[in-house]
Amino acid sequence: MAEKHVDIITLDIIKDSLLAAGEEIFTAIARTSKSPIIYECLDFASGLTDDKGNLITQGNGCAGFLGMLSSMVKEVIRKWADTGRLKEGDIIIINDPYGGGGSHIQDVGVVMPIFVDGEIFCYTANKCHWSEMGGKDPGYSLNATEIYQEGLQMPCVKLFHEGVLDEDIADIIRANVRYPDLSIGDMWAGVAGLRTGEKRILDLCSKYGKDTVRAAIERLLRSSAEYSRQQVARIPDGVYRAEDVMDKDVHGNGPFHVQVAVTVKGDKMTVDFTGTDKQTAGPINLALAGLHSAMRSVFLACTDPSQNVNDGVFEPLEIIAEEGSLFNAIRPAPVSCYYESMQVALDLVWQALAPVVKQGQLTAGHFLTVGAYTMNGTHAVTGAPFVNCGPTLGGWGAGFDRDGDSCQFCTGDGETFNIPVEILESKFGIKITEYALNTNNAGAGKFRGGYGLILGHEALNDDMDFGGAYGRHERPAWGYAGGQPGSTNGFDFLRKDGSYDGPYGSGNRIPMKKGDIVRMVTGTGGGYGNPLEREEARVAMDVKNEYITLDDAREIYGVEVDPVTFAVTGLTDARKEYQRSHA
Amino acid sequence: MRIATDIGGTFTDIVYIDDDGAIHVNKSHTTPPNFEQGVVDVIEKCAIDPAAVKDLTHGTTVVINALTERKGAKTGLITTKGFRDILEIGRGNRPDLFNFNFKKPEPFVPRYLRLEVRERLDYLGRETEPLNEDDVRACVEKFKAEGVEAIAVVYLHAYVNPDHEARTKDLIRQLWPEVMVTASHEVSKEWREYEREYTAVLNSYVMPTAKAYVDKLYHHLEAMGITAPKYIMQSNGGTTTFEKAKETPINMVESGPVAGIFGAAMLGKMLGEDKVIAFDIGGTTAKCSLVDGGEVKTTTEYKIEKTDRWPGYPIKVPVVDIVEIGNGGGSIAWIDNTQSLRVGPQSAGALPGPVAYGKGGTHPTTTDANLVVGRLSKKNFDMDVDMDKVRAAIQEQIGQPFGLTAEEAALGIIRVANSNMLNALKLVSVRKGYDPRDFALVAFGGGGPMHAAALARELNIRKVIIPNAASVFSAWGMLMTDLRSDDIQTFFAPLTDPDYAAINAEWRKLEAKALRDNGEKGVQPENVYFMHYLDMRYQGQDHTVKVRVPDEDLSPENLGQFIEAFHKEHFQNYSFRLDDSPVEIVNMHLASFGRIEKTPIKEVPPQPYTLEQCVKEVRPVIFEEAGTLETKIYDRTKLSPGMEILGPAIIEEVSASSVIYPRMKAAIDPYGDIIIETEV
Repeated sequence: MAEKHVDIITLDIIKDSLLAAGEEIFTAIARTSKSPIIYECLDFASGLTDDKGNLITQGNGCAGFLGMLSSMVKEVIRKWADTGRLKEGDIIIINDPYGGGGSHIQDVGVVMPIFVDGEIFCYTANKCHWSEMGGKDPGYSLNATEIYQEGLQMPCVKLFHEGVLDEDIADIIRANVRYPDLSIGDMWAGVAGLRTGEKRILDLCSKYGKDTVRAAIERLLRSSAEYSRQQVARIPDGVYRAEDVMDKDVHGNGPFHVQVAVTVKGDKMTVDFTGTDKQTAGPINLALAGLHSAMRSVFLACTDPSQNVNDGVFEPLEIIAEEGSLFNAIRPAPVSCYYESMQVALDLVWQALAPVVKQGQLTAGHFLTVGAYTMNGTHAVTGAPFVNCGPTLGGWGAGFDRDGDSCQFCTGDGETFNIPVEILESKFGIKITEYALNTNNAGAGKFRGGYGLILGHEALNDDMDFGGAYGRHERPAWGYAGGQPGSTNGFDFLRKDGSYDGPYGSGNRIPMKKGDIVRMVTGTGGGYGNPLEREEARVAMDVKNEYITLDDAREIYGVEVDPVTFAVTGLTDARKEYQRSHA
Repeated sequence: MRIATDIGGTFTDIVYIDDDGAIHVNKSHTTPPNFEQGVVDVIEKCAIDPAAVKDLTHGTTVVINALTERKGAKTGLITTKGFRDILEIGRGNRPDLFNFNFKKPEPFVPRYLRLEVRERLDYLGRETEPLNEDDVRACVEKFKAEGVEAIAVVYLHAYVNPDHEARTKDLIRQLWPEVMVTASHEVSKEWREYEREYTAVLNSYVMPTAKAYVDKLYHHLEAMGITAPKYIMQSNGGTTTFEKAKETPINMVESGPVAGIFGAAMLGKMLGEDKVIAFDIGGTTAKCSLVDGGEVKTTTEYKIEKTDRWPGYPIKVPVVDIVEIGNGGGSIAWIDNTQSLRVGPQSAGALPGPVAYGKGGTHPTTTDANLVVGRLSKKNFDMDVDMDKVRAAIQEQIGQPFGLTAEEAALGIIRVANSNMLNALKLVSVRKGYDPRDFALVAFGGGGPMHAAALARELNIRKVIIPNAASVFSAWGMLMTDLRSDDIQTFFAPLTDPDYAAINAEWRKLEAKALRDNGEKGVQPENVYFMHYLDMRYQGQDHTVKVRVPDEDLSPENLGQFIEAFHKEHFQNYSFRLDDSPVEIVNMHLASFGRIEKTPIKEVPPQPYTLEQCVKEVRPVIFEEAGTLETKIYDRTKLSPGMEILGPAIIEEVSASSVIYPRMKAAIDPYGDIIIETEV
């Protein structure tokens, strides 16, 4: 057999082994972590890069971390490798959002060089949401004004020197966090992931030889870049713009003007956020590495979301944002709710490109918020203190051939699960009053937006606090191709005394008494196409299913539906007129 | 004589053991949509005396087919007021991270058939709002008007107090005796309402279909004169009676596949191997499962239609823990958009099948590749194989784009297929903290014996076992089973200063129910045995670990033993233990078994052939590293116990080929199994 022939198959098998190694590192971390947020929420990412910091493979539990491994490794190369100070067995720790980190302080990265024959062959890195990183509030703060209030910062420093833990660094961590055992446990989970990565790479190099493995890595990056360029080239050349208004921050600053110009030229894509407002004193700022992550997600969504993710894929992508703006913030801007502006930046590109990418690839706008909430108090039966925090479900947009999905988490999440009612009630001693679709007549269209959520929590004790950060509280999700906008997100209180308090978009630690109900209410996604084009049978089924009312059917969709049989009994003049003029 | 039959996509298999312990196997075609006919056919083919049959066990795909083809009943759901959208909301997860046109699972029950009833329990099972029976009556009226065929009743916290559900079911029975009803507590008593709700809904959804099938099969078998007890294989690795199967048909969802895994565990026990990895390659998928300590592992985390990009639908009944990937004999080889060679998950299936079948298949498959490298022989196929066509398909579609010959391309396909299967095997072993070197690989199904040796070598597994009945091994496994039922009860109990009496009283309750159930199945109390499991966790965790605990009451004396069993299991699964952390029970799990008397398997008699006389032919076979070698091909049916064969060699039988690599040794054991040592 000719040598070159065997090589291509071997390279593909090495490639598969590299991808499998990426998954194995991911499960190693999930297996060894002691923090529920890591092993249950999978709020972490792990992977391998080449010796220049180009991502080879990444395992993700949520979309938000995409691209943040390379930015950490590149920072390590700049600070340590290029100055010849990186040794075998060294491990670097980073959570500085402005120095390679990109998200918030709670996401802690570790990076390790993998040495083969005495030189750096590649890197393995991971980034996990630690349970506790100190700062002014437990968990994390929703209303900081400077990054210094948000927790302990670790700016690309050595955690291990040639395989030996730096106990001084560990002591600094222990002294600055509220639950040192948990946080140090998270650290070891990250280290276990690094060691798994190192072992797999060394196995591969000893089995196939390092030059062959390197060739496989190069082939992977090169072929992905080629494919990615082909995908970009299929988008028509042009400059596509979008602008939007981002809600006020928790301190009342804003609202903020945000904008993008996406230039597609041949097989290159440039996204330029110049003109977006300056950073703010509320914690919704985004560091540049975070913007890169958001752009990578939306780039995949616009090209081929099913492809293997590596830095070859993103070769055609260029990102521009003014320093000191919301999307390229600089120290000391607080960043703990960075994911809200990350969603907004991503959504701008989505809006700009929806009409020009392949039909069906992008839907109308979704509810666009993580909907992060924290609830704390004591269990009504056991008296145990609790903290309940997490993201909120909401409505996604309609597509050209489908209604939007109801009650999904936003694009920044992924393998994220809601908490069952039976668990909420048992664990926190509260009562769930309803867990329902927020059906309304928003997001109407030929295909309608998916519905958001109404989730009511009743306090059964007098000591509960509620805080939430809900974006798109002021402006709903956008409709597309004639579809109507969705509805907005927020929360409100039905007080025991019968009064209504709300709705709010954001707030920190709002007190609740026994019998008070807080409702998280998220929005409907945007609709697609003119509602008067919606199939009559679908309109009738929507009435039968109690998604919309008889009046909605008539007034928005122009369809008369029988209230008993749910048969279509006629069309309104408006619908007939529309049909005539669009025949 | 004892009989087991198993329905597969193409063939219906039979394995039976006669009264002196000799095993016999046969196959006939599967006969959709009247699957029971295939069972009758295969029994008739064997000329079995119906009067001599002591019992019959059956594995069926009728439930999984009804689910995947969406051919179940029109089902209505009755649930707690405020919560009818749970089924549509789901869990909100989106494994396809970067697809902004993701489509979540459609609910099996549309919103207009999801009705609410005023009633409420708190998490301790205390009634906070009484059951409103008028609401139930209104639901029944509406369902009648809509032509509903089956109903599921699911209330919050019914896992701790089923009273409202049971009363609702009784009321429905009175109002509408002929409709089929499932109350969630009858199929699952674990918390998490979405998962329990789907379990109940899907049980109702398949109930009419399953009932009709089981009844038809029963009548056909009785008409043949088989009046002996009849059992159906369930997903938990045990069987149940036909009558019980009709009540909770959802327990049959993985009826066939788990029997092979269970069989591997039993074969391992027979051969003194209590650590085995069961590995089954069929036409479209490869399945594997790890057996430690001779026991199959069950899980209630089972989902249908789940992929790495789609959440699927949960069914919270115990199912043997299996990892399945889209890589089988019919898996199609293709070149992806980054110019890499891929195999599967698309499969040519049984029709059109591989190019070799000559039934119109044009895409090269793993089977075609195995023909081209000489590991399969065209002479061993039912049909006339056009080798030129097979070679041309591989050469043109895979060889040319890479500049490879047909042989090189075929070897490439096999290597990529092996790489995929290797990852699945690692998933059940290395990634769960097990070292594969401690395990024997039991390989079966049409393709298992062909790929096992190469995979074992990659994993440093020293021993591969190819069972005597490798190609009908699921049916073989069924002959080894007992009746089994599992009761899993969410019972939250901290183990720091536990309430011993309450925990032990719960065991008594579960055991009493199990004895009653077994009695209904005709099992005498002395033939019932239990295994006790606890789903436990460290305080503050959400997930649990299933722990086999001593079959004795919890007491201050043995509490430490229970907790230590948990620490160990947790360490195995998650590589750490927290000795100072409080431990809690989340679920109590009683597996109860009704022992079925089994005929011991007899050793196979020697055959009148020398080793040389067992050689069918010598043909060139291509191996990964050694290249093309003239290889002896042995006829498995002629081999005698005690014979040893050095690789390179191939051992052929009717529907499988075992590949022995150079520097490996195969031996025939007393039961006719092939034992391959991978390091000689």
